[in-house]
Amino acid sequence: MKPIPMWRRFDRLFGADRASDVKDELRFHIETKIDDLIAQGWKPEAARREAERQFGDLPAVQRMGEHIGKKIDRRKRVKDYWGDAMRDLRYAIRMLSKSPGFALVAVVTLALGIGANTAIFSAIDAVMFRPLPVVDQEHLVIFSWSARHEAKHLGMTDNGDCGDGYHCPVSAPFFNAVHGQSGIFSGVAAFSGPLEVDFSGNGPAGIAHGEYVSGDFFSTVGLKTYMGRALGPADDTPTSAPVVVLNHGYWQRAFGGDPSAVGSTVRLNGVEAAIVGIAEPGFNHLTPGKSQDFFMPLSLSMRVRSEWSGTKDHLQDPATFWVVIAARLKPGVSIKQAESVVTAIFRSQTIEATLFTENDAPVITFVPIQQGLSGESGSIAPMLNVIMAAVGFVLLIACANVAGLILARSAKRQKEMAMRQALGAGRARIIRQLLTESVLLSFGGGALGIVFAYLGVSAMTRMVESGFGEPFPFVIAPDLRVLAFTVAITLGTGILSGLAPTLRGSRSDLTRSLRENASSVPGGAHTGQRFRFGDVLVVLQVSLSIVVLVGAGLLVRTLLNLKAVNPGFDTQNLLLFGINPTMAEYKDQQMMHLYSELQERFAALPGVVSASYSDEALLAGGYSNDMVHLDGAQPKQNSETYVLSVGPQFFSTLRIPQLAGRAFNAADFTSTEETTAAIKAAEQAADKTATGSRAPPVPSHAKQGAAAPIPVIINEAFARKYFPKQNPIGMHFGNMDEDNPRVVVFRPGFQVVGIVGDTKYKDLKREIGPTMYSPLVGSHAYFELRVAGDPTAAINAVRKIVASTDSRLPIFDVRTQTQQIALTHFQERLLSRLSSFFAVLATALACIGLYGLLSYEVAMRTRELGIRMALGAQKRDLMKLVLRHGLLLSIGGVILGMAGAFGVTRFMASMLYNVRPNDPRTFMAVSGLLLLVALLACGIPALRAVRVNPLVALRSE
Amino acid sequence: MEPQGEHVDDTSKLEFLRGTLDVLILKALVWGPLHGYAITNLIRRQSDDALILEEGTLYPALWRLENKGLLESEWGLSENNRKAKFYNVTPAGRRRLRNEMKTWEAYAAAVAKVLGATQPPLREELG
Repeated sequence: MKPIPMWRRFDRLFGADRASDVKDELRFHIETKIDDLIAQGWKPEAARREAERQFGDLPAVQRMGEHIGKKIDRRKRVKDYWGDAMRDLRYAIRMLSKSPGFALVAVVTLALGIGANTAIFSAIDAVMFRPLPVVDQEHLVIFSWSARHEAKHLGMTDNGDCGDGYHCPVSAPFFNAVHGQSGIFSGVAAFSGPLEVDFSGNGPAGIAHGEYVSGDFFSTVGLKTYMGRALGPADDTPTSAPVVVLNHGYWQRAFGGDPSAVGSTVRLNGVEAAIVGIAEPGFNHLTPGKSQDFFMPLSLSMRVRSEWSGTKDHLQDPATFWVVIAARLKPGVSIKQAESVVTAIFRSQTIEATLFTENDAPVITFVPIQQGLSGESGSIAPMLNVIMAAVGFVLLIACANVAGLILARSAKRQKEMAMRQALGAGRARIIRQLLTESVLLSFGGGALGIVFAYLGVSAMTRMVESGFGEPFPFVIAPDLRVLAFTVAITLGTGILSGLAPTLRGSRSDLTRSLRENASSVPGGAHTGQRFRFGDVLVVLQVSLSIVVLVGAGLLVRTLLNLKAVNPGFDTQNLLLFGINPTMAEYKDQQMMHLYSELQERFAALPGVVSASYSDEALLAGGYSNDMVHLDGAQPKQNSETYVLSVGPQFFSTLRIPQLAGRAFNAADFTSTEETTAAIKAAEQAADKTATGSRAPPVPSHAKQGAAAPIPVIINEAFARKYFPKQNPIGMHFGNMDEDNPRVVVFRPGFQVVGIVGDTKYKDLKREIGPTMYSPLVGSHAYFELRVAGDPTAAINAVRKIVASTDSRLPIFDVRTQTQQIALTHFQERLLSRLSSFFAVLATALACIGLYGLLSYEVAMRTRELGIRMALGAQKRDLMKLVLRHGLLLSIGGVILGMAGAFGVTRFMASMLYNVRPNDPRTFMAVSGLLLLVALLACGIPALRAVRVNPLVALRSE
Repeated sequence: MEPQGEHVDDTSKLEFLRGTLDVLILKALVWGPLHGYAITNLIRRQSDDALILEEGTLYPALWRLENKGLLESEWGLSENNRKAKFYNVTPAGRRRLRNEMKTWEAYAAAVAKVLGATQPPLREELG
């Protein structure tokens, strides 16, 4: 072919165009053929027609050509692209391995940010946002009632299912009435529990937790069985044979997964029941955080009952609220309509039972199940929010760190970029090359971060489980959404930081940067600019660290304060365990004998100094209170007090000082027993007449003098508050004065026989309040054994004694008092540990950022430092130069951080103990600590500045 | 190279089999770059007018060969100063040509043997 003239070369200026190429090629062919035909003698018109005829189908060939042309283009593009990308990758790897410190720090920083974030968010997600393990939960609702005034003489049992602001438990008759509304609901189920029962028939007696459920619970909720059958409506009648369905996890633990468990018989508190099925695995409870070991029909609640059930038939009593209703609306039914129907039923029932009046206007609202049942998570939520915030900050710091590192590094390569541009590289090409490095770093960080995330989650699970005591009710698994989110954020940061320098350069800066040498003039146009941005990043990091440090400091102080609290009794070497003979059908008198026998035998054990019991263990998170009416107070004006029933030698065993009067003696227990029995008998009689006749019975004041007042011992706080000017010993005060037309029995009141020192009751945090102690009669008991030496050594002996006394009695909650306190304050300990970890992490990251920035500064100013040295500056002066900059940034960050912490810590107030959210000492200590660490971080670059050899520095380009 | 079926047109010039087309194109370009029209002329003249390419199939064959990397193309000027696309053989194309020629020759020899037989083959020894 002939050589192509210059002007022809610009034919393809705007790129190849396949379609017109093909046209041109074919046109050439046709034209040449026409020329030949004309040369052979054809007429031009005829020649054209002949040429086209000879060719065949021109348009079809054209189309084929375009198609193939596109394929060729695509392939070429891909080949070019991958070739370049591979080259970029190799170059990036080479550059990164030249500065391994930078690469390592960047990757680890990213990984820590990703790992910590994912672990925490997964934990929070598991606790707070876990989807319920039921079918189609969007249409499942919980019934919640509310009214303008409090209900009167309501007996309510709340098992901690409902979230704050909702009243879920309702009465069994109400459930039955709603259950019949098949036009509105496709399923109505009720549940209550779990109830601790004595579970025997599978080895030695043990405690199991059983949930009462209505007959169509399984079908309404959509819970399937793994083996056997589910409970059905036929099982939930007063006359059906007792059956239970086991929880899958319990079946594995207690029965070893033995299939023959289905069909076997067990005894629940002495009542025989057959196991008919195993629930599907993965279902713990509708309420997050709760779990039960087996399901039993509601109708069993009168036969298998807790000691708190009282004497009323709560399957029939409209004034005992104890079941939670979960219902599934029929599709197409309007919520408002359904609510009004259900409200009408509720209203008529409660008004007839004189719980409410017309004015109170009680209503039922439907609450989506996810929202209504929050269980445990309600109490953990604030703690998790704090942790979430801390982790968010750490992530921010990590991103800022990486951004700063990358920016500092790319600033050093300004000259290289300028050279590339001068040699003809397009902007896109340069961007891509820089990007490859950041992307490589980000991917490395991301991969390592995923590993950290998994490790973090398992560490979190272990840490939480070890402190929680019982199996942790939530399953924490790495949440993939969170992982993706954090990886995206960190990748984004890495990529954006890598892009930043290229977005600024323009052609005019090229020559200037080529002319400058590596140690460019400080404060020059670009380096000065980038400098300032780096400063901002460091200040930001330091301030965020301060916030996290302050938070951690406050939480650690809270824990320390709690540890320093004097509980009012000797908590060392005390063994605690619980016994519940009511499960083995003991009556009150038998229980008294049992307890005194056990107490004797325990006290006789070698190593046991003394033994006693009470109905709650101290500092175990549980407590009881009651209202009493002081003699001489206005009618209906009641005073509140904590109550605790105790056994003999309680105060001496726990080493609570007796301040006045005497301790309980045998006569006290006997008289309390008689009084309690008399009260119970009267209550039962009144109940029977009340439910039978539906007319309020005549109050029987006549019986009032028939029993002695219960002897009680009060604590100092009670004496100070309620008997401020008198000697309380021998004083009398009465039971709560209230209107209770349904059941009125005589109440003999209480008589003070002694005063003891104040003790903490529920936990270390709560203020000490008036407390009254009464002799323990007819209740489960927690034994306290004072042991000389390690309490756990006595456990085996204790079990033997209990088993030999009655093999049907299991003991539970075996732990030492110290362990119990740790358990009760698990949240504070966890918070303290976690927040400290994050504070250290945040500070470390901030210091790395500071160090990086200052190192970069020293490197950039090597020439200037060399000149200064040559001109006579002392080492001290050079160090001061670097340190001053570093300290200025740190102080700026500290001030900003203080302001931030000031605003943020107020949200933590509920978690603190004895330390204000704005505690100045904490703030001061934290600032001091950070400045000290920052000084160290600045120290190394400062030393490096000092070691600059002026000759080398001046020569370096 | 599978025969796709052939028919003799009334001018009794042989039509082309598709696989053969590729190898003929490759051979035609051995002596230097040519545009499509020149390729048809060369083949026609070399076969003494026995082989006339169907023009509708030539260009798709050229493009396919280019896509496979056996040819490369470049725009240039023809003898009469028109813009034309010139094709050239790549090293891969040359290798392919050598292989195809060997196969073709073996095939042709085998066909010739069968067609040129003067007597039926001997009975096979049974053993």
